[in-house]
Amino acid sequence: MRTNLVLELLDVPGQLVGVLEPIGGLGANIVTVIHQRDVKTERGTVPVQITLEGDEENLDLVLKELERLGISVIEIDGVLRKEKITTILIGNIVDRDVKDTMDQINQLQGVRVADLDLKMAEEPLESSAKIIVEADYGKRDEVMDKIHKIAENKDFLVISEV
Amino acid sequence: MKICLMGFGAVGQGVARVISLKNDHLNDKYGLDVKIVAVTDTSGAAIAEEGLDPDLLLEIKSKTGKVCDYPEKGISDLDALSVLDQVEYDCLVEVTPTNIQDGEPAKTLMIKAMADKKDVVTSNKGPLALSFSDLIKNAQENDVQFKFEASVGGAMPIINFAQQTLPGCDIESIFGILNGTTNFILSRMTREGSSYENTLQEAQQMGIAETDPTQDVEGIDAACKTVILANSILGMDVTLKDVELDGISRITSESIALAKKEGFLIKLIAEVSSHTLKVSPRLVREGSPYSVEGTLNMATLKTDLADEVTVVGRGAGSIETAAAILSDLVNIWKSK
Repeated sequence: MRTNLVLELLDVPGQLVGVLEPIGGLGANIVTVIHQRDVKTERGTVPVQITLEGDEENLDLVLKELERLGISVIEIDGVLRKEKITTILIGNIVDRDVKDTMDQINQLQGVRVADLDLKMAEEPLESSAKIIVEADYGKRDEVMDKIHKIAENKDFLVISEV
Repeated sequence: MKICLMGFGAVGQGVARVISLKNDHLNDKYGLDVKIVAVTDTSGAAIAEEGLDPDLLLEIKSKTGKVCDYPEKGISDLDALSVLDQVEYDCLVEVTPTNIQDGEPAKTLMIKAMADKKDVVTSNKGPLALSFSDLIKNAQENDVQFKFEASVGGAMPIINFAQQTLPGCDIESIFGILNGTTNFILSRMTREGSSYENTLQEAQQMGIAETDPTQDVEGIDAACKTVILANSILGMDVTLKDVELDGISRITSESIALAKKEGFLIKLIAEVSSHTLKVSPRLVREGSPYSVEGTLNMATLKTDLADEVTVVGRGAGSIETAAAILSDLVNIWKSK
């Protein structure tokens, strides 16, 4: 079985070897590596395309090991990996420009508000919003930083996933 | 083992009760005979070199509210510091009320006992959250034992658990529910769909929340425990002001309903790691280890070797907290 992965590496020496070595050790064969240092993402990281061959279990092990090493796998077999981030906000959601709140999150690269559920309370100051964000893999911290910044400005309480 | 019991409120009385219940057993199993040679409360003290009768102490306290009414051995208006000077003892059991302003009088009492080369056991969060490194330094310099299992999570084993049961593991982070009152309120709001105000009132009527619930609902109590865990288990050097804090008073029944629709519960979670010290309401998965209900406490320790380990237990209560204090006493005894 073959799998194509796109990884994101920092543009510093030793990164590529640091990834390839553990892959070899886990019983997966490396078929191709495409590494173009002059192509960079907007974050300054280098995308590396790797084709692997191995049993499904070995490939699973590789993905787990990469995750453990803190390396983001942004694409598997041509499909961008997404993660779903659920957050609840409490505060004066509507009057403090709910559209602006959504826009600010949507402006992040590779991030999209997939669902917004509003519940009004008797007191407008206490209305609640559930926001589900779909983001490219590895963007969780960036999304949460953004939400916390918005919340600080608009005096919302942020309830995030553990 | 002769102990000086400073403070005779719910926890202090619990200690007297477990000693009365367990002394024969401790004697048989470990050769440990715990004698209460002095007790203090706000009224004064009771002192007896040969040991006070724990059952009589409890009886007097429930009758008159004052330990100084103990027959023949009671002394009114004797302050705790002078008691430490007058009595021959091995271990100070410090269970006076928590003071998060300056940690007193507990801090002074404990430092004095350490200087006198006595071991110290406490359940008191205040001095630990404010002056942890100071207290540890005093204990080390005087080569005495200093234990505080009861200060976090009541009967739920966590500090001794991490230090003694998982000594080979590095603990990378701890996520936990460290306050029973807020867990009760949030569980109840989830179950009944009731408002925060009504549920708080109900908790107050049941004696689960205090008349002034600020310390619990604003997360201060959980923040104190966060500091204790960060210092004692993660080896950090932090105090209460280093903890980011959001309580549960803004949580609405609507927000809980929104969370539920996605399979989440809202819990007041303490996060302890080298980069984050935070107490805040968080979303946890229904059916996950975080979904414990009522006044229960829990904590998940993330370790390098054993992955995640979770402990659950009763976070408060007179006998439960005293059980943790008794573990500390037995551990000190066994190490001698």
